[in-house]
Amino acid sequence: MPDVPSQPSQQQDPITSNSLSLPLLIATLVMMLTVVWALVDEVYLMRPWKGYQKRFVETYKAYLQRAIPEAAERERAVREDPEYQRLVREAEAAQQAVNPQIAEIDREVSQILDPQIAVLNRVFAEQRMKVSALVYQLEKASSDSSKQSIQEEIEEARTEILRVSMPATAAGPGERREFQYAALEAELERLKARKAELQTQRIQLLANATELRRKADTYLREHLGGLTEEQMRGLQRQVENFRVEIKQIHIADIDLVDRCESCHLAIREPLVLTAEDMGGERAFTSHPRPELLKIHDPERFGCSPCHNGNGRATSSVVKGHGRHRFWLWPLYARENFEAGCQQCHTRDRYLPEATTLNEGKFLYDHRGCVGCHRYEGYDTEPEELLAVQQEILQKEAEKRNNLLEVERTIAAADRAETNEEAAALYAKADGLRVASSGIDAQLEQLDARVKNLLLERKKVGPSLKEVRVKLRKEWLPVWLENPHAFRPSTRMPRFRLDEDQKQAIAAFIWQSGVNGRLPAQPPGNAANGKELFETRGCMGCHSIGEGDAEVGGTFAANLSRVGEKVNYDYLVRWIRNPRERTAPYCPYEKRDLTPEDYARHGLPYVFDVDHTLCPNDGHELQVQQMTVMPNLRLTLQEARDIATYLMSQKQQEPADYPPAPYLDDPAMKAKGLPLVRHFGCAGCHEISGLEEEGRIGTELTKEGSKPIERLDFALLTHEAEREGWYNHKGFFERKLENPAIYDTGKVKEPLEKLRMPNFNLSPREITALTTFLLGSVESNFPERYFYAPEDERRDIQEGWEVVLKYNCMGCHVVRIGQRSVLMDLPRYQSPDWKEQLPPSLIGEGARVNPQWLAAFLQNPALSETDLNRNGVRPYLRARMPTFYFSQGEILKLIRFFEALSHQPEPYIAPEVEPLTPVERSLARALFRSQGAPCLECHATGDPVHDQRATAPNFLLAKSRLKPEWTKRWMLDPSMMAPGTAMPSGLFRQEGNRWVFAGPTPPGFAQYTKDHADLLVRYIFEFTAAEQQ
Amino acid sequence: MDWHQLWVILSTPDNIPIASLLLLVPFYAWYGFRQALANDRLIEQLEADPVLAKTHHRKTQPWQPHWPKEVHVWPYLLKVEFLAAIIVTAILFVWSITLNAPLEEPSNPSLTMNPSKAPWYFLGLQEMLVYFDPWMAGVVLPTLIIVGLMAIPYMDVNPLGNGYYTYKQRKFAIWAFCIGFIGLWVLMVIIGTFIRGPGWMWFWPGMTWDHNRLIFEVNRDLHDLVGITSIWGKAVFGALAVGLYFVLAGWAVHKIITLTEFSRKVYERMTLLQYLALQFFLVFMLLLPVKIVLRLLFRIKYLWVTPWFNI
Repeated sequence: MPDVPSQPSQQQDPITSNSLSLPLLIATLVMMLTVVWALVDEVYLMRPWKGYQKRFVETYKAYLQRAIPEAAERERAVREDPEYQRLVREAEAAQQAVNPQIAEIDREVSQILDPQIAVLNRVFAEQRMKVSALVYQLEKASSDSSKQSIQEEIEEARTEILRVSMPATAAGPGERREFQYAALEAELERLKARKAELQTQRIQLLANATELRRKADTYLREHLGGLTEEQMRGLQRQVENFRVEIKQIHIADIDLVDRCESCHLAIREPLVLTAEDMGGERAFTSHPRPELLKIHDPERFGCSPCHNGNGRATSSVVKGHGRHRFWLWPLYARENFEAGCQQCHTRDRYLPEATTLNEGKFLYDHRGCVGCHRYEGYDTEPEELLAVQQEILQKEAEKRNNLLEVERTIAAADRAETNEEAAALYAKADGLRVASSGIDAQLEQLDARVKNLLLERKKVGPSLKEVRVKLRKEWLPVWLENPHAFRPSTRMPRFRLDEDQKQAIAAFIWQSGVNGRLPAQPPGNAANGKELFETRGCMGCHSIGEGDAEVGGTFAANLSRVGEKVNYDYLVRWIRNPRERTAPYCPYEKRDLTPEDYARHGLPYVFDVDHTLCPNDGHELQVQQMTVMPNLRLTLQEARDIATYLMSQKQQEPADYPPAPYLDDPAMKAKGLPLVRHFGCAGCHEISGLEEEGRIGTELTKEGSKPIERLDFALLTHEAEREGWYNHKGFFERKLENPAIYDTGKVKEPLEKLRMPNFNLSPREITALTTFLLGSVESNFPERYFYAPEDERRDIQEGWEVVLKYNCMGCHVVRIGQRSVLMDLPRYQSPDWKEQLPPSLIGEGARVNPQWLAAFLQNPALSETDLNRNGVRPYLRARMPTFYFSQGEILKLIRFFEALSHQPEPYIAPEVEPLTPVERSLARALFRSQGAPCLECHATGDPVHDQRATAPNFLLAKSRLKPEWTKRWMLDPSMMAPGTAMPSGLFRQEGNRWVFAGPTPPGFAQYTKDHADLLVRYIFEFTAAEQQ
Repeated sequence: MDWHQLWVILSTPDNIPIASLLLLVPFYAWYGFRQALANDRLIEQLEADPVLAKTHHRKTQPWQPHWPKEVHVWPYLLKVEFLAAIIVTAILFVWSITLNAPLEEPSNPSLTMNPSKAPWYFLGLQEMLVYFDPWMAGVVLPTLIIVGLMAIPYMDVNPLGNGYYTYKQRKFAIWAFCIGFIGLWVLMVIIGTFIRGPGWMWFWPGMTWDHNRLIFEVNRDLHDLVGITSIWGKAVFGALAVGLYFVLAGWAVHKIITLTEFSRKVYERMTLLQYLALQFFLVFMLLLPVKIVLRLLFRIKYLWVTPWFNI
């Protein structure tokens, strides 16, 4: 501030003299600029999809320009095909034939009827409007007098003379005509009726030509295998008229708005468009799995329900894909995209299109994740068992109360003062008794359910109650130290144990084992054992050899070093029947029973699937080991041979293991118990005293939608944020790769550390499990979007559970394109051994009678006495084992196969027409003729013959097969089972019947019926006598 | 030092007003003071020259004889306002184009975000919750703030300083403003935004906001220091302590009100009601810095604990 001058200078007044125009100009210009910026932002910058759409139109046009000549070329090739040309010629000829009549009809319609109708219609419509309006007034009129006058007006309108100038037509010159309302209507009707009649005639005349043209088009389409040139041109026209706009799918009832197609413009195009086709732009490809879109119509499902991402966002790629820290459903990464299936397909264990997710689900169950982490629908038996047992206790109490109440009621009745009262009380007592018997029925069902559940309940790992009889003591600590060092592919994970913990746990396990004595077994023949191991089917699940030399299935353990760990005697028992236990477990008393328990009730110490009741309290016992390994029904000698062979599988002598005297130290056992509990060993193993332990991990059913804040990244949070893996995928992948990772840098007490052990998962397995977990979300969609069918598709869902649980696919082919483990073993590569492969189960539901299948699954030997054989295919070296399925599992399997073959449920066997004596002799002759020597290959029950048989015994046919299938099979077996030994082309079609293609025995010349039918009927009447 | 973290906080769209506050508040404080001091010098000169003082002069500029003594609102004021309006509009345009609404994920009723922060203009209030119980910080004090702001014109009996910047003539008012608004309100907004991290813990700028951070801090009430345990004992003791504060603070405020010749003249003009109201609001206002110091330096939570309210 200047000093106040004593003499005022001629300084200008800054307020009045300063115009501020320059600052105003600049500010205004700046504001104009910002307005322009705002407009550009609004129109282009915030709408990048506009650019995409322009680029799409260009590239797609260019592509079509390239592709149309190619399509035209392909199409020309088909069009030049004589067959097509014939069809076209026929169509044209048919058209030519009716052309004059058609022209006549068209002329009448277009030149006479149409102009007349048009003129009359206009006048009529006008008058009708007038009348209708008057009628409305009449309806609404309030007084009689006004009604009267309107009525008159209507009459007037109806009788008014309407003048129409009819146009000049081929039928005659123009004329003026007069009508009243009704007459006009009638005339109009007449003309319209005439037109309709002519049009019908036209269609009838053209029917033949249209049909022929349709045939030609169908021929073209079927032989082209793509779009026709015309269709491509249609696409081109669409692109020419492309409108730049938001393309959105709106599904109102789930409030879904997906605008993905604003950029992914070709996703539903009927062509296969790759990034190369579209100038390298990946956004413009067509959907890579169009068959999935067919099932999941985008108009009904949208995009984001499967893929995640932010369907509404259009302002940038990052936002549209939901890769934003505040968007809870980011687009699934490429390798995890099948996670999207899980949301609705929760109940499916196997989805035809989702291999990664399938593997994830399988691993979750099979690797034992489910041992610690509950997941809805996985390993449900223990929970259900508890619930049913609880219910049994309730019912029993209810019954006791009932009976007490009966006594009290009767006593009250005895004291009753009047007869009526006494009668009422006695009636009540009777009612209670009847109710009690109803409870008995319920209890029976519940007991059956318990029995089923005890059979179905499996553990991931072997029972640790058997350690004392099964294992070499010194091996235990070595195994606990690092299971992967002993057996790299093992499912047993490596726990983070210090030396002390390891010794304590080993001591607890050793000392908690059940004491038992096994019969001593003499050694067997190892060479024969090796042969049996490789041919009986053991290798469908087990592998042997290490590293590159490993052959066999990965479902069960690799047996390369099994000789270092087990006792020979136990191994023999295990191979003979892996389900055999040393002692039964009573879930009611919660302890293992001893021979004394049985002796006390004067019972022999016998417990198996036929003797399942507890001698103490009558409840169902766990009489089997909880392994899925089946009983191969081997003889004792065979079991010894295999055991001897397996005992030779070792890398180091068991005697070289360091001694472990602490295993017998009771103090160590006491220390071990809390540790075993802490680490959740009982999740996968059966352990004495810990049979009813719960799961120690967190439930994972909805893990994918757990808020990210609840996933404990611990000290790695900031690193994760910096490196971009602070999300579910990053958490799961790192946790699975190294379960201890989130302890990094933490200072914790030993037992406070993260408990999850290391499963040594491969990157592929990690991706599979991550996919599964990412998809395990709390869904926002209504129930009906979930795939929860109640029809035969439900049977398929349930069946897969059983099929995967018991590894049926180790030996059998269950779905098209699948290979069993046995198929890929070196031994089964030679043609002779290919015949030895277990049968394919594709179409099994159409093939066999479900009742028979139930009996077969129950007892695959199909014999009560001769168990050491295959019931259907005695010639197979591989053995269909006894799985001791529960009734429920058998039902699920049967329904599964029936449903896969779309068979009606329940199955009612059709009547097979009995053979007349003549027919029988004819059939017998054919059956044994040189052209069809059926019994050469099919088993006959003669042991010598059956050695080289390659097909089942005909005696089984009646109960086993479905006649319709049998006929189809005989007509063309190679169609159902490519490579089968059963010859194809045995029959040829002759008119409506099939006749034998080879030389027929005498007498057939007169036989006019179907030969294949005859043979089927013969087979279904086949007897042992016929076989001789 | 985690400067990245600081940058993230500073650049979050809803923190932009506070980031600008950091610059704008000091700037305008400085700008206002500059003008006020210049005017003070002018006033001094005018007072020294009775001739000049007698002639009409504009309040903020030394008057010159050929200048109009007064100028019209239109266009002289409005054109400046118009210019300001254009500039503000341009700023708002740019702001709305470049900074999106700070929306976050859908709310999850079972999961509270941490730190859970109010909108920036309420962060001062939220910070006050550290020093007072919710009843005081959430209801009583905000009410007093609003009522106090409304009461200012009625308590202000200083006739000078209307319509022009001056420090000399309104020292008391300016100091009250600096302490109350800049010192307490703005500062607390800034603390709430930049200093308070997860768990509402104190993070110096540059410290990583670590959700796992644990600090050991035991807060005491004043009566714990002297070991009073009975309810009535606490109430009486607290009442005495707070009473003592009121007496001391009232005495100090009175000292300030009557500090100079000028302020004593102003004081003379006050009615008893005006004086008491002023005392009341200032004493309550000063309670906040007192509690901040007690809490942050001495870890004393409450002075006065009763079953109904705490101070």
